[in-house]
Amino acid sequence: MLIPLYGFLRGDTIGLVVLVHDRQTMAEVAACLQEAASVRVAPAPSARVYVRGRPLEPSVTVAEAGLRPLDRVDVVQEAA
Amino acid sequence: MLRRDEWIDLARKLDWEYSYVDEREVFPELTSGRPWLPHAAWAGWDEPYKTSFTEYVVNQSAKDADVYAARDAVGRVEDFQKLDPAWLGSLKLHGATLPLAEFAAVVGNLRAARFGRDSAWRTMATFAALDEFRHTQIPLLIMHELIRFDPQFDWTHRFLHSNDWVAIAGRHLVDELLLAANPIEIAIATNFVFETGFTNLQFIGLSAMAHSAGDQVFERMVQSIQTDEARHSQIGLPVLRTVIEHDRDYAQYLIDKWFWRSWLFFAVVTGFSMDYLTPLAHRTQSFKEFMDEWILDQFQRALDDVGLARPWYWPQFLDALENYHHMVYASAYTYRATVWFDFALPGPAERAWLRDKYPRTWPLLDPIWERISARWRDAGPQVEWYTHGVTPVTFCHLCQLVLCGGTPAHNSARWLEHEGESYVFCSEPCEWIFRSEPERYQRHKDVVKRILTGEAPANLVELVRGYFGLSQDCWGRDVRRGDYPWLHAARPDAEGGR
Repeated sequence: MLIPLYGFLRGDTIGLVVLVHDRQTMAEVAACLQEAASVRVAPAPSARVYVRGRPLEPSVTVAEAGLRPLDRVDVVQEAA
Repeated sequence: MLRRDEWIDLARKLDWEYSYVDEREVFPELTSGRPWLPHAAWAGWDEPYKTSFTEYVVNQSAKDADVYAARDAVGRVEDFQKLDPAWLGSLKLHGATLPLAEFAAVVGNLRAARFGRDSAWRTMATFAALDEFRHTQIPLLIMHELIRFDPQFDWTHRFLHSNDWVAIAGRHLVDELLLAANPIEIAIATNFVFETGFTNLQFIGLSAMAHSAGDQVFERMVQSIQTDEARHSQIGLPVLRTVIEHDRDYAQYLIDKWFWRSWLFFAVVTGFSMDYLTPLAHRTQSFKEFMDEWILDQFQRALDDVGLARPWYWPQFLDALENYHHMVYASAYTYRATVWFDFALPGPAERAWLRDKYPRTWPLLDPIWERISARWRDAGPQVEWYTHGVTPVTFCHLCQLVLCGGTPAHNSARWLEHEGESYVFCSEPCEWIFRSEPERYQRHKDVVKRILTGEAPANLVELVRGYFGLSQDCWGRDVRRGDYPWLHAARPDAEGGR
């Protein structure tokens, strides 16, 4: 199932709507948001997804994280 | 023959006691506003600067003649073609947001001209409605001449009739501010907060900027509008004083609500112009300096005078003053095809100026412009899409503007579950306004919800063309199409480049 999420990349100036599949992992969600914001923020090789202030493991899927349509995710790039 | 001061009160104060109907039927609370008070409570309503119909007509006629003279002398297409393209972007932005918002003000003032609670108030509101007709017609007249040289000027009229995201936000503001509000709320929200607090002084700053940029027509137009605003904005204070006397909490609520709502729109329109679209050589002060000097001192003094507190979110507002319009401008630059005016890319000199003016916040914003500049450098001039976003952006359910609150380090967006629905807001004050009157706001759909319910297309090109109503000859671009000397100089393969 496709789920629209409100994504906020740290360092960016605006929130974006990213459409992800509930089978996708947090690593893929982070990559998706970084790509969407790449015109303003250079993507980093690694980034962590935070939901309600808690970091999620990169392997956790959208469904496992219990994310619902229009939930907020924050993505923070990690130093290489 | 009577002297002016002997008859002016008879002309402006003409109230009588009703014998066939009840006062509440003549001025129902629904249309006249709350607190509902008998006329005796309003009888002392007094405007400091008084005018008669004859004086009004004579003065306005002279002001119109002055604007038309400037247009005839220096308002030809060739005159506008000499202006800096970035300044023209500012002109298109102001041109579009002025006329139909002013026309909504005609409606709001006419409601006050009928349902205001004192005859002097109603007389002033009648003048104000006539003022707002001028403010609708003058920009339409001046910008209409320019459509043949640049079709983006057509948006002076088209803007508020469109579903462009800025227009949705603009309508959400002016519909509530002017079309749906009762005369008491209009007086406090529009005359006291929006006009006395913001636009009256904004127009002084704008006319100075226009003068510096060599745009004499816009300068005269704004000066002409400002003198009207200065007169009719005085409706607000006597209404506010009476409301404070009978319901202080409600008065404070209206101030807090409308200062925030006015600020957001003002920051976008005026912040863009002062810090980005006015050529660097013509800038006299930053948007923040302008706000500090002209708006904040004056507004805080006005609140002190009536014994009200500063809005509860004042510290957040002061933070926003150094961030919000920068956040929106950088975002909008990378979604410029979604609006009807062109954007300037700040170069090294502009960025140094911004760093100097915003030393606390600019370090977090500068990397965004470094990134955008690098992409222009990679792509070369004309390749607009390489510095343009394609993913739908997010919107605040209250102000309908993009979620650009906070800083690049922390976006201040907030979530609220209300009656089984999820709502998102750009800031705590926007959430607070929604929570205060959810029935007023909950059914309005922002652009994202319109996309998700199928009312608007998700594909950005389809959204821009089919829903926002922007054609290829009108949508926004970079003012120089990425062709900046400093970008060439920094290109590794350029002669003499590094």
